[in-house]
Amino acid sequence: MSRFKGFGTLFGIELKLNVRDMNMVVFAIAMPLVVLAVLGIVYDTDPAFEGAGYSFVEQSFGAVASIAICAAGAMGLPLAVADYRERKVFKRMKATPASPALILGVSLAIYALYAAVSLALLWAVATLAFGVQMRGSWPAFLGGWLLTLAGMLSIGLVVGGLARTSKQASIIASILYFPMLVFSGATLPFEIMPPAVQQVAGVMPLSQGIQLMKSAFLGAPPDVAAVPLAVLAAVAVACTAVAVRFFRWE
Amino acid sequence: MDEVIRAKGLSKSYGGRPVVRDLGLCVGAGEVFGLLGANGAGKTTSVECLLGVRKPDAGTVRILGMDPQRERRRLFQRVGVQFQEGSHQAEIRVDELCRETACLYGRPADWRALLARFGLEGRERAQVKQLSGGQRQRLFIVLALTGRPQVVFLDELTTGLDVKARRDVWRTLEELKHDGLTIFLTSHFMDEVEALCDRVLILRDGREAFSGTVGQAVDASPCSTFEDAYLWFSGEEPEGPDGDEEKGNVR
Repeated sequence: MSRFKGFGTLFGIELKLNVRDMNMVVFAIAMPLVVLAVLGIVYDTDPAFEGAGYSFVEQSFGAVASIAICAAGAMGLPLAVADYRERKVFKRMKATPASPALILGVSLAIYALYAAVSLALLWAVATLAFGVQMRGSWPAFLGGWLLTLAGMLSIGLVVGGLARTSKQASIIASILYFPMLVFSGATLPFEIMPPAVQQVAGVMPLSQGIQLMKSAFLGAPPDVAAVPLAVLAAVAVACTAVAVRFFRWE
Repeated sequence: MDEVIRAKGLSKSYGGRPVVRDLGLCVGAGEVFGLLGANGAGKTTSVECLLGVRKPDAGTVRILGMDPQRERRRLFQRVGVQFQEGSHQAEIRVDELCRETACLYGRPADWRALLARFGLEGRERAQVKQLSGGQRQRLFIVLALTGRPQVVFLDELTTGLDVKARRDVWRTLEELKHDGLTIFLTSHFMDEVEALCDRVLILRDGREAFSGTVGQAVDASPCSTFEDAYLWFSGEEPEGPDGDEEKGNVR
């Protein structure tokens, strides 16, 4: 238990520092709400297509919920990790009874919290303003959400843990973040993209996560989830293994 | 005298280039021990190997009887470390950094009292990056003392402090020493070393060039002041003073 001593205090202070920084408040909390609002205003309660049993906004809910996950895993976490290494915060922790892993765990918890808060706010707005209903199963949707979060945070650990400098981490993060945000269907609905773009973009882990959440939300037959499930689980396991093996504390 | 720090045969190379060679030292309880040497002589690497944050190629270290590599967590309940450059989060405030540090220890000291003792009262809400260099330096001494350590490692203790602040820090360290604290420091200021250190070890190219008291260093060199003796041992001015009667001109 003493291994986690100080977790609560660190979590409180680090969260405050993170909110003060505002980046995640904008990209993980405000931006998904703006995207949802735009979709809601444009499509209101229109069905996803002629004769669909669900609305366009319902079809997009999983995608919008992935925006915060993308911001956390592809941007927030890698930058925070690289920054703490460069500032020698990890090194200082090494000369205390805690370990650098404690503050890394605190960071992971904070980014997971952003994603969870974003999901809760999105749900509240979607049901109250746009009449969105869960068409599939909550446990399946939340399971897909968790797996997407795990996959993206593990990618963030690899980027942050292996980048040599903060500068390098921020370049890699941008290369990951912006294409995933635009082409995986998180902001622009996947359905309106040309088939060629869909095929290329479909490879990205975030696209897989969105497919998983979407099919769970709409109650699609479970076999649709098989490929995304396998891809995301593989990404999460492989990236976590790489991060654990090659993580650079200094 | 109880032995607090003991190192034997400590060696470390980077890419085949030896940085620390066969270093041995012993520090007793309540002693103030100074590790000296020119930039690049291996001071920082030596300290990091002693603390176990860097793994030596050879040699053994015991601090308070513990192996810093294997018993890191237990050891750092009783050992405080001040790092050379302030390593802290970008936007953190003084009180936040103090709380983050205090929450890691079993029985932390009252950090507000420590801040006051080092002349930082009223600065709790300031951002760490907005402190002056001297205030930041003193804050990092406060952090090193927050866990109520038996031993502290102070790296470049008073670099960046003005004359008055340096004297204040010395006085506080004297008090802490009287309370039984063992202090391991590195410094660039020989007046500070003379004022504080019971014993010193001078490194030259990663090897011990001298070990003993300040007085013994002067006696064992052809010099008449400790600063000259230091320069002579560390190889920065290997010629020694020009004449026998030289009275400690500063370079």
